[in-house]
Amino acid sequence: MLALTGLVGCSLVEYSPNQTHLPTAERGLTTQTLALLQQMPRAATADTVRFVFVGDTQRFYDETEQFVASVNRQRAIDFVFVGGDISDFGLLREFRWVHQRLQQLRVPYLTVVGNHDLVGNGRAIYQSIYGPLNYTFQYGGTKFICLDTNGREYGFGAQVPDVAWLRQQLQDTTGSQRAVVLSHVPPTDEDFDPALIPTYTAALRGCSRLVFHLSGHVHRYTAGQPFRDGVTYLTTYSLAKHRYHIISLWGQRQFRLETVTYGPDA
Amino acid sequence: MTEPDTLARPATPDSLITRSTGLEPLDKKPWYRPRHVVLQTGGGIGMVAAGVGYSLGKDKNELDILVGYVPTKYAGSSLTIATAKYTYSPFVLPVGERWQIRPLTVGGYLSYTHGTVNDEEKGQYAKGYYWFSTDTRVGPVLGSRLAYRRRTPAGQPRNVAFYYELGSNDLYILSYVQNRKALSVGDILTLSLGLKADF
Repeated sequence: MLALTGLVGCSLVEYSPNQTHLPTAERGLTTQTLALLQQMPRAATADTVRFVFVGDTQRFYDETEQFVASVNRQRAIDFVFVGGDISDFGLLREFRWVHQRLQQLRVPYLTVVGNHDLVGNGRAIYQSIYGPLNYTFQYGGTKFICLDTNGREYGFGAQVPDVAWLRQQLQDTTGSQRAVVLSHVPPTDEDFDPALIPTYTAALRGCSRLVFHLSGHVHRYTAGQPFRDGVTYLTTYSLAKHRYHIISLWGQRQFRLETVTYGPDA
Repeated sequence: MTEPDTLARPATPDSLITRSTGLEPLDKKPWYRPRHVVLQTGGGIGMVAAGVGYSLGKDKNELDILVGYVPTKYAGSSLTIATAKYTYSPFVLPVGERWQIRPLTVGGYLSYTHGTVNDEEKGQYAKGYYWFSTDTRVGPVLGSRLAYRRRTPAGQPRNVAFYYELGSNDLYILSYVQNRKALSVGDILTLSLGLKADF
């Protein structure tokens, strides 16, 4: 029996759909990707950072393949950022199905955790396959701050998002010209902990280098300054919409947003 | 010392037979007594799952009740999984004196997982926020079984069987149905390996 349980390595003998057990090569992808990204020269000219932003790959595997094919035809892309809800049911196989497709991208991809990724044992699975729920990285003069804003998954309770951590990250932008915050649930959504909206938005308002706040979750493009405080909030499409954004950042807080339509109907 | 109760109660015919021959009479087990014990790994219901089972309808139908366990190391939290599995094996082929094959076993299971990290607390979500259950899974199984035929001195069967079952679950099947190009049947299959022993 013990020898037979060793078969879990081939993943067919599954102990639970909620299990976290992964081949070593598929663990800690965020750290692996960031190491790779630091070695890559920027794809665009001058001081421009250019990346693909898309949300919610959850249960859209056919569409994810079309998305990868489309992004691979783009030129001058530094990386792809997936704005959470990588999985739909928080199951290990779903994460792996998405990763198997996204690793076909010619550029590295990074993620932030979504509410569906925290269902069941999803949190432990996300931490195992990608890494920390809150993390930052610097690339092309830009500090990218990625954090878990899925308050409802923790029963609210003013714990998530970690506003103190966010404030600290926004204050310490040494070596960066500008900052971008990426999360899954935007503070305008009812799944964001209402008790933390004032401090969260104040932290963003207090950072003069902040370009904007990017989110997924709502599966559609929205843009505006909902708190009327000069801070821009953008949301992007889900994979089901057959659309994604290409975001270019340059100068101090300059940006350009391009929308790409792909797939059979494009 | 004698016990008045024992003295007062007349011996039943069954207990007379048992006492005189030392054997259990065939087919006289109470209905609630399980026929076999089960030990399984995989199939989404535990690293190790153990339980008991009942045979119905000339031993071709079986209902197994299992409790499975997955340690924290493999799941991020320690999971306890309760499962009811019903299988039907229409063909029983003898192989020599000692062996027996059931080439086809079809069935289904329902499992409930306790101990997940995010255990849907009351009031956490509005009704229907997540339309699926994170803890209850249902799925089909398809497999085969090889049994070694043993008998008690009185001639009652006490087979020991090895089985495998390929299975899946509701959420995997749904993922496949909606992504027929990207996913294959192999992507959504699980394998379980197990032993069943009559007792």
